[in-house]
Amino acid sequence: MADIRLTVIDPSGLHARPAARFVQAASRFTSRIVIRQDGREADAKSLIALLGLTIRPSTEITLSAEGPDADEALAALAAELAPYVSQIG
Amino acid sequence: MGLVLVSHSGKLVEGLRDMVLQVAGDEVPVAIAGGTEDGRLGTSAPDIAVAIRSVLAVGADDVLVLLDLGSAALSLELAIEDLAEADRGRVRISEAPLVEGAILAAVQASIGASIDEVAVAADGAASMAKIPRA
Repeated sequence: MADIRLTVIDPSGLHARPAARFVQAASRFTSRIVIRQDGREADAKSLIALLGLTIRPSTEITLSAEGPDADEALAALAAELAPYVSQIG
Repeated sequence: MGLVLVSHSGKLVEGLRDMVLQVAGDEVPVAIAGGTEDGRLGTSAPDIAVAIRSVLAVGADDVLVLLDLGSAALSLELAIEDLAEADRGRVRISEAPLVEGAILAAVQASIGASIDEVAVAADGAASMAKIPRA
């Protein structure tokens, strides 16, 4: 399992459009990908789950991927989120 | 896989289509039918049929139709009856709330999901939280 930690810096948080782009990007990978915030988690390939997390500005999120293309998936998703987050580790 | 958005108001579905295209992208065909043929609030079976045919015509195998209020259902049924018999089975009607359902359905369709998966995603809109839980 690979993880990356990010802080949401966009003043709107992760709103509908970037969330949709993120789901579209995650769906291109076979790995199971999860996004976590404050002990809650959502399937990164489900827009409804992601919007349900209501990711707000200045919060920390963790992306985890498990599967054959996990590292590639995390790199692609971090790039997708780049305008909205800063990477912690 | 494409979507048809039906409302009693043309303005409502025009705005919703803009939102759907901006959130989900333009790969999924989205057609709208809103208001009566003479521009009043209401629904038009011929306009709905045109919208459905336009989505099928651009190559969508299936169409999910979302509507704003149940009173649109009669026009929708008439529109479906007006389709060629082979096309009727390619149309599915969603019970999902129109705005949230359209966005969820379009994103699901944009990742290559089947009509079953798209319909399930749209249905999830009914129980989607809007206000973050503490």
